[in-house]
Amino acid sequence: MTSQNSFTAKVINIREIISDYFRKELIPLLADLRLAILLLLTIALFSVSGTVIEQGETLSFYQANYPEDPALFGFLSWKVILTLGLDHVYRTWWFLALLILFGSSLTACTFTRQFPALKAARQWKFYEQPRQFQKLALSAELESGSLNALPSLLKQKRYRIFQEGNKLYARKGIAGRIGPIIVHASMLLILAGSIYGAMTGFFAQEMVPSGETFQIRNIFDAGPWAEPQIPKDWSVKVNRFWIDYTPDGTIDQFYSDLSVLDQAGQEVDRQTIHVNKPLRHQGVTLYQADWAISAIRVRVNNSPFLQIPMAQLDTGGQGRVWGTWIPTKPDMSEGVSVIAKDLQGMLLIYGMDGQLVGTVREGMSTEVNGVTLAIAEVVGSTGLQIKADPGIPLVYTGFGLLMLSVMMSYVSHSQIWALQSEDGSLYVGGRTNRAQVAFEREMVEILDQVQLKET
Amino acid sequence: MDLVALQNWLDNVSFAVLFLTMLLYWTSAAFPKIPYLQILGSTGMGVANLCIAALLGARWIEAGYFPLSNLYESLFFIAWGITAVHFLAENMSRSPLVGVVTAPVAMAITAFAALSLPAQMQVSEPLVPALKSNWLMMHVSVMLLSYAALMVGALVAIAFLVITRGQEIELKGSSVGTGAYRTAKYRLRKSEEASTHSATHSGAMASPSIAPPTASVSNGAGGTAVLNSVSDTATAKPSVPLSPQRLSLADTLDNISYRIIGLGFPLLTIGIIAGAVWANEAWGSYWSWDPKETWALITWLVFAAYLHARITRGWQGRRPAILAASGFLVVWICYLGVNLLGKGLHSYGWFF
Repeated sequence: MTSQNSFTAKVINIREIISDYFRKELIPLLADLRLAILLLLTIALFSVSGTVIEQGETLSFYQANYPEDPALFGFLSWKVILTLGLDHVYRTWWFLALLILFGSSLTACTFTRQFPALKAARQWKFYEQPRQFQKLALSAELESGSLNALPSLLKQKRYRIFQEGNKLYARKGIAGRIGPIIVHASMLLILAGSIYGAMTGFFAQEMVPSGETFQIRNIFDAGPWAEPQIPKDWSVKVNRFWIDYTPDGTIDQFYSDLSVLDQAGQEVDRQTIHVNKPLRHQGVTLYQADWAISAIRVRVNNSPFLQIPMAQLDTGGQGRVWGTWIPTKPDMSEGVSVIAKDLQGMLLIYGMDGQLVGTVREGMSTEVNGVTLAIAEVVGSTGLQIKADPGIPLVYTGFGLLMLSVMMSYVSHSQIWALQSEDGSLYVGGRTNRAQVAFEREMVEILDQVQLKET
Repeated sequence: MDLVALQNWLDNVSFAVLFLTMLLYWTSAAFPKIPYLQILGSTGMGVANLCIAALLGARWIEAGYFPLSNLYESLFFIAWGITAVHFLAENMSRSPLVGVVTAPVAMAITAFAALSLPAQMQVSEPLVPALKSNWLMMHVSVMLLSYAALMVGALVAIAFLVITRGQEIELKGSSVGTGAYRTAKYRLRKSEEASTHSATHSGAMASPSIAPPTASVSNGAGGTAVLNSVSDTATAKPSVPLSPQRLSLADTLDNISYRIIGLGFPLLTIGIIAGAVWANEAWGSYWSWDPKETWALITWLVFAAYLHARITRGWQGRRPAILAASGFLVVWICYLGVNLLGKGLHSYGWFF
């Protein structure tokens, strides 16, 4: 019985210690602005490292570029980079921990600083003693001014006025006190949305030739709870992929004509997508991202049209070309190489000796090695970037609120007090939290006009 | 009319005008007694602003899209932004010192764009597919305007640092409202003292004619006149009269720098978000840690730290201004430096 009691007492005690620790130690530390500044600058600094050191390259890349001896700046070898995770800074545990700490700091700051400040701003008081005006930098004592001159002046300047007998209080720009609170809240919303999205979303890429149907399979990045997002009961048919070129041969736009098919193969949606205009279906979005040449359809003499696959050739980074080989003798002892570099329809034909034999356009034919080679079509394939991100609604809400509130935060919260003392002199004073220069001008103008009304 | 010839003429003219403007502002700061110099400087800035606007307008007509697709156009847009924000800052502070720092930067940008960029990079070219979107105008123009505002704010902070070198300064204006209260030594002064105090206070910062930027408010007779107009009523009273404690030149520059950065920061936020939404609509990810994106975030973080430093005890005075001034460098790295890396989505239409 007693041991039971002492046990509960101990538990309560520990609880108290923990809650004390939270209230007196942890939260004040998290809400400390110096910590916030330090966090902002630290996140900035580590972000810089990710833009200087190449991200997501292969091991051999880092070994080649960051040798152990001599190490860059004396310490930055590939081993250090890989151990610290500097090859994927933005996904390391310590970067994410920084972001979480940043989120906690934001939350703590909102509760311990911003809400009290807003409360104080809303619970204003009249100034009842002349000495209360002495602490304000912008205050004046007018010997013969009248309080009644103020309301109309202040109304012109869009102040909200509260008056009671010989006392007056006016304020404007309370939005400037609310703005920062919403800024912090929307940042938390964006952080939460991006974490949720990273956990439940996926990314995929597909390279699909014109005319083929595909299901989303080539997923290269998925969160631990992404399974329900991956579509299983519908597929996509690429009806056609094509490129529009400008008159001088540069690419104008890429287009893919896509159909969404249900399990029975029935079309449920059809859209032509291009860069900047994706297709959305059941939370999954398909973007035009890349392209390639997949095949050519050719006829040799009187053969039927044959679809021959084209393969991308290694040019050592000198642009992209695709090529294939077409036999010109039935025993395949001779043939020609056909090269294409874009979908404009021009093909280059090389002979067995590697010399250029001629060119042929899509829909035309040419004579090589004594046979007639007719090119019906150069078939392109479309490169699609596919993703689902259930965190988007949260993130976008955060974006919207952030844009609104960051503009609100520009507003300066101005307050003006006035008091007509018993000996007839008028005390006017005011302060603002941001626009000191503009407010000073406003105050001086108000004081001048009050005097003008008197004389 | 030949739009290309007009553009070539306009870019050289805006450079020449800005060069002259810079000299005018510098002379007016060195010899504040020469009249009309500041007005001439402002006029020059206005002419340059209109020249650049006409240049960009001609581009828009020629190319058929908002001219923000290559380095030349974006340099001129940012120079236009700097001249525009300059007017805002000059009008808010009524100090010619703003022009002393903004004019050389605007001049240097136009000089680089008009004189040292190779001719083939100056011509207008068709947009690549990825940029064919209405988001281009929204995202890029807001980003460049925010860079312009942040640069002007940072430049004014540099001016503040220069004129307050070796002094202890307490800041006015921050979201908790520090500085709205009377400093102890000015509390309860007599009207005579008040005017001399404030004159010496600001006089210590700069020569008398630039000292009262905030004081020429009502009757235009200099710093003490306003104080007199308030204290006229007070002198009749033998006891301790109360009159407004005015801002010094340093206070004014500091506050204007804060307000201009305060304007650039929302623009930067909106620009980044517009870019994020565009990226999500066009490429499927609102944030991909592309170097340009990351540097925009870094810029955002640095200026967020500045805004927070101003409301932190122990961090006031010159420290936030140093942070703001270093922000100038960060903006430049974000705007141009990242393109030296030459990778990512933002290398379209740029040089290396």
